[in-house]
Amino acid sequence: MIADRLALLGILLAGCGDLQGFGGDVPPLSTIHVDTSGDFDAVRTPGATNENLRVALIWGTEWLPEALCFLPPDTAELAAVVDAGCRNPLSFTPDRVAASVPITSNVPADLSLDALPAADVMYGDVTARVAYGSLVVFDDRDASGTLELASTSRLPQGGFDPEQDALTNDIIYGASFVAMTEPDQRLAFREGAFVETGFYPRHGCDAPLPAFSILGAGGFSFADAIAATAAGTLPSEPAGSCSEAKPEDTTVAIPFRPSADVREVGCVQRRLDSSVRYRQPPTDAPDFTGRAFACTTIPQLGMPDATAGIVQLVVSSKADEPCRGLTHYTLIGCDRGRLICDSPEWDYRANPPAWWPCPVQAVR
Amino acid sequence: MLRAVLVVATILVSRPSAADVGALTSDSFPYAHGHGLDLDGGLAVAFPTALPTGLSRGIGGGITEGRCPWRWGARAAWVTATESTLDWTVTHSDLRLRASGSLQHDAGRGSFGLRLSAGGTLVHETRDRNQGMRAGLMGSDLETSTFALVPAAELEAVVSVHVVGSWLLVMSGGPSAALVGSDLHGSWIAELGVGWQP
Repeated sequence: MIADRLALLGILLAGCGDLQGFGGDVPPLSTIHVDTSGDFDAVRTPGATNENLRVALIWGTEWLPEALCFLPPDTAELAAVVDAGCRNPLSFTPDRVAASVPITSNVPADLSLDALPAADVMYGDVTARVAYGSLVVFDDRDASGTLELASTSRLPQGGFDPEQDALTNDIIYGASFVAMTEPDQRLAFREGAFVETGFYPRHGCDAPLPAFSILGAGGFSFADAIAATAAGTLPSEPAGSCSEAKPEDTTVAIPFRPSADVREVGCVQRRLDSSVRYRQPPTDAPDFTGRAFACTTIPQLGMPDATAGIVQLVVSSKADEPCRGLTHYTLIGCDRGRLICDSPEWDYRANPPAWWPCPVQAVR
Repeated sequence: MLRAVLVVATILVSRPSAADVGALTSDSFPYAHGHGLDLDGGLAVAFPTALPTGLSRGIGGGITEGRCPWRWGARAAWVTATESTLDWTVTHSDLRLRASGSLQHDAGRGSFGLRLSAGGTLVHETRDRNQGMRAGLMGSDLETSTFALVPAAELEAVVSVHVVGSWLLVMSGGPSAALVGSDLHGSWIAELGVGWQP
């Protein structure tokens, strides 16, 4: 009888454990294995010693470049502006930094993810949506523990300027996904079905695995992308360049590269839909030192519209600035940088600033 | 002046109200005392035994034996609570099993008592990793489940009122304590239910 009771007690106690409540270790939602390669000292930005290397996950967003950056330039000056101020139209464009951990050069590290990508970085509807991220190695110069995304520094303008430049000291030295024109390894989060779209397409590859996965692709040229778009299709990835794996089964390799080659991965874009904010010229001449500039017309993608006679002054960013970009000045303009409205906010066509280097009116 | 006169006149002419004495003495809801055995059951609410926050809800009941003022019995209650943090959704289901002794005083249709209960609480814990299903987690990374039996005790005030026949309205509530691991967790419990005296 006593033995039976002891046996019963033993069975009961065998099912017992420690209550955790809200405490205890929290298993990550996914763990990404990362390794760097190459000689860091060979790519170090001059003067940037005592590096504080970290690896961060950046979720990407959809971005369309402005027309001036992909239309054939009509002058040599404009070509120089585009070359200096336009980023690769097929670049990875960051939206949000999700997680970051310290890393030592050429030593593997694990990046744990404790949160899923938010709905606003996922593309598709709730039955089929996907997010793509790039793993970025950077020098956390401001010791904030995360990567601060930068934006293009704009030249001064007349009137009220509602936009502020995002400044950062962090230096990017490598990324797993820099542009669709290069081989990449990207982190994907897929929810539901997968519908192939123009959001960082991998045409010819298998669909991302459900939930988190590491995808590989070989990249395609800008010319291929133009040709495919003209044909109404998506540019194909090279045969044999695709890979899909669960994060625990693969390591993301990030080669060290000069910051100038990869820093656009950390540059947020003020406008994602290819639209342009035209700016009021300031009274005093902007500092054009180290910048390319050109006078040109407003690009016309369809039938010429009312902007066809307007001349713009386009000024590129400087080579040593963290992000590429263009500043557009026009002698006439409206609220929110538009060119057409009932009552322009500024109109200097009758008396342009003394430094204005362009004709007042385009020759039709 | 006029107001003062009105007030004084009102006081002078006022009389105690005269209730219908016959209606008070004739009981429209006759009741009967039992023979020392009470059964009760009802809704229970409590602070969770081992969670730091939340409100557990469930059912409880018991049996009480003996004549006033000293009585004894056994009680059981099952309550459950689900609470969340950024990382976890935690459900605790508490099965409270107690032996009780009480000091009770009858007064007319009602009775008042103080009940001390002691025993164990079997806590079943389920922890779900928030967003884990969407992230494809499986096994113990997604969900854990465990039992724990912890010693516990309550001191409750008990009020019961005969409603009609053998049926009573029973209310109780008071502080509770449980030893979870090496920590003493204070909490409370309250019950509202019906009783029956056979």
